[in-house]
Amino acid sequence: MDTLTLNEAAAGDSDAQLAKARLGERAALAALVRAHQRSVYSLALRMLGTRDQAEDLTQDVFMQLSANLKSIESSSHLLFWLRRVTTNRAIDQLRRRSRLEMTPWDDDAPLFSTEDGGDPLLQKHLRALLRDLTAPARAVLLLRYQEDLDPVEIAAALDMPLNTVKSHLKRSLDTIRQNTPGARPVTQEDEST
Amino acid sequence: MSEDFESQLRAALRPVAPSDDFTQDLIARMTAAQGPQSAQRALNRQRRGASAGWFAAAAAASLLIAVGVQQHLRQQHDRAQGLEARRQVIEALRVTSQKLDLAYQAIKSQSSSLDDEQGV
Repeated sequence: MDTLTLNEAAAGDSDAQLAKARLGERAALAALVRAHQRSVYSLALRMLGTRDQAEDLTQDVFMQLSANLKSIESSSHLLFWLRRVTTNRAIDQLRRRSRLEMTPWDDDAPLFSTEDGGDPLLQKHLRALLRDLTAPARAVLLLRYQEDLDPVEIAAALDMPLNTVKSHLKRSLDTIRQNTPGARPVTQEDEST
Repeated sequence: MSEDFESQLRAALRPVAPSDDFTQDLIARMTAAQGPQSAQRALNRQRRGASAGWFAAAAAASLLIAVGVQQHLRQQHDRAQGLEARRQVIEALRVTSQKLDLAYQAIKSQSSSLDDEQGV
């Protein structure tokens, strides 16, 4: 092949940066953090609900990564590893948390954020509905709609059977639709897609 | 509508960035955590290099000692051979001298008996 695609070139750059980060180069480590912190922090924030807890978890995940960089083989493996560790650690924290413990929920985006032309109030409402989902269901929904993974990739990341992933997705979307004014109930046509 | 709902969900769950202060702090912590490991790796490399140097020096010294010992043994062997050769020559000379003495005695006794017979 004479030319690389943009994705291949980006992956090559990332792999080169990963190799430098393994050697402890500060610039490469900083680039690695900047490239992946949004994903990790957002997963942590939407799983746990508060900025403080999200920052603690993000820091823990990256420090664990720092200690395990030798075992990371490629940039795609790195992405898989970060998502897997973040979601699993968040699920563990939520399981340990007392049922009676009430945690205030921080919303993560300002109301005037309308880069996509969507309805900011509706988007705030949708984010708020996440707290009603179980921890594994929340993780599945975030990996699907925040990280844009397909069900097979989600099953691999969470070490969960594919049918369980699909069932979490369906139930979560049903719950959110039922609690969202104006959202059309799920039809058989929707389910088949 | 379903696609619209899902796109609203995607937009609602767009990744957000943590504060810059948090990012700077995280990078500093990771670098600090990596630092000792890198230093340790450098120290290990240095130790491995030093060990290799010592090993090479020890091997060279062993070789020199072996060559020296071998030369010394050869010299001792040559010297012992020389001494043995000298001892053999002396022995041969001693034996020859004895034989010559015996021959001289025999000749001398023969000539004196001849003189007696002739009445010299």
